Amino acid sequence: MSAVGSSNPEYVVARVRARRGSLYGDEEYRKLVRMSPAEIARFMEESSYETEINALGSRHAGVDLIEYALNRNLAKQFEGILDWSEGGLYDLIARYLRKFDAWNVKTVIRGIYTDAGQEAVEVDLIRAGEFDDRRIRRLLEADSIDAVIEVLEDTIYGEPLRSAYAEYEETDTLVPLENAIDRAFYERLLANLPGNEPTRQYEAFLKAEVDFRNADNALRLARSGADIDPAAYFIEGGDLFTRDQLARLARNLDELVEYIADSQYADELGPALRELEDANSLIAFEHATDVALLAYGDQLGTIHPVSVTPIISYILAKEREVDNIRAIARGKEAGLPADEIESELVIT
Amino acid sequence: MLEATNELGTVVLEAGGTLTNPDAAIAIAVGLAALGAGYAERGIGSAAVGAMAEDDDLFINGLILTVLPETIVILALVLVFVL
Repeated sequence: MSAVGSSNPEYVVARVRARRGSLYGDEEYRKLVRMSPAEIARFMEESSYETEINALGSRHAGVDLIEYALNRNLAKQFEGILDWSEGGLYDLIARYLRKFDAWNVKTVIRGIYTDAGQEAVEVDLIRAGEFDDRRIRRLLEADSIDAVIEVLEDTIYGEPLRSAYAEYEETDTLVPLENAIDRAFYERLLANLPGNEPTRQYEAFLKAEVDFRNADNALRLARSGADIDPAAYFIEGGDLFTRDQLARLARNLDELVEYIADSQYADELGPALRELEDANSLIAFEHATDVALLAYGDQLGTIHPVSVTPIISYILAKEREVDNIRAIARGKEAGLPADEIESELVIT
Repeated sequence: MLEATNELGTVVLEAGGTLTNPDAAIAIAVGLAALGAGYAERGIGSAAVGAMAEDDDLFINGLILTVLPETIVILALVLVFVL
């Protein structure tokens, strides 16, 4: 609801735990992998996605229908969680959900840059963040990037976007604007976290996520051998790398792999790193970071059952479910065999 | 704070204050028990309402769990008749 007053974790945790029960499990995924997109939509209609499939069914079909229904359901659920929570709890949850605001701003800017129609942009938005409908409407109605920045003037993105705008005008690429949005998001993510025990677990999870993001980027840069400054992609706040370390390690793949293998994440990522050395496949590594994060998310909330951690754990599980269903639907559309799709899914 | 309450109790008793009067002591005991029950019900109640919002069938379970801490007040009430 708002960031004033005291937290109400009991209420939110009870609701979220009930919803967790209705997420898809191994059994459902096994069934979904063997269905066609139309059947998947049908299957979703009979589960918790009923309202969305019915609302969108007349306008879209096939994989698009699944995709939009997933986005809309995700948005509805996360919006609900933000609605219920109060006080310090709201602040902690909003920190993470702001990533959807960042996504929406980026989508709108890209839409303007490529001259996409307002409707095409609208269906790609995920209204799960802190922005209310009015601000999103104004964002959609903005017809230039300058106008977008004006709409965002009083948010955390206003200032960084304004200063990145000059660089955008010079180079006519979106990279400076997108970097500015990402940096604004990550700066807020880890700043001024309160210091109690459940929050420290949450913080450790966020740091792991930043570390993995950095490691993914560094590996990708090191492997491509492209002449890009790795420091420009560095995200502050993680434990694993400092800016200089990352810049140095991204020039040498072997050193980088060795560095990660010696870090605190060695247990989770070790097998994937060996595979990376043998088969030179980045996919396995990215998959391993996803699985490690999911395992971490499942663990969250077992030690402090009435705190922010079980709520974050649910948010992660829900995101993963949406990603998995999307992967299945897209894979089916592309005609991949069932076992190949299954290997792409992130299931614990 | 806990050491302070102990001292406070001694002072009150020695000075022949309220707590030497059994009726007043029982009233305070029942009141504190009710306060504790209220605090416990606050958390349980909000969780129960949350669960009911997701699934109506949980109404009975929620109601029972919400009033369980009320037993402590009844136990405290026993003192009124015993002493």
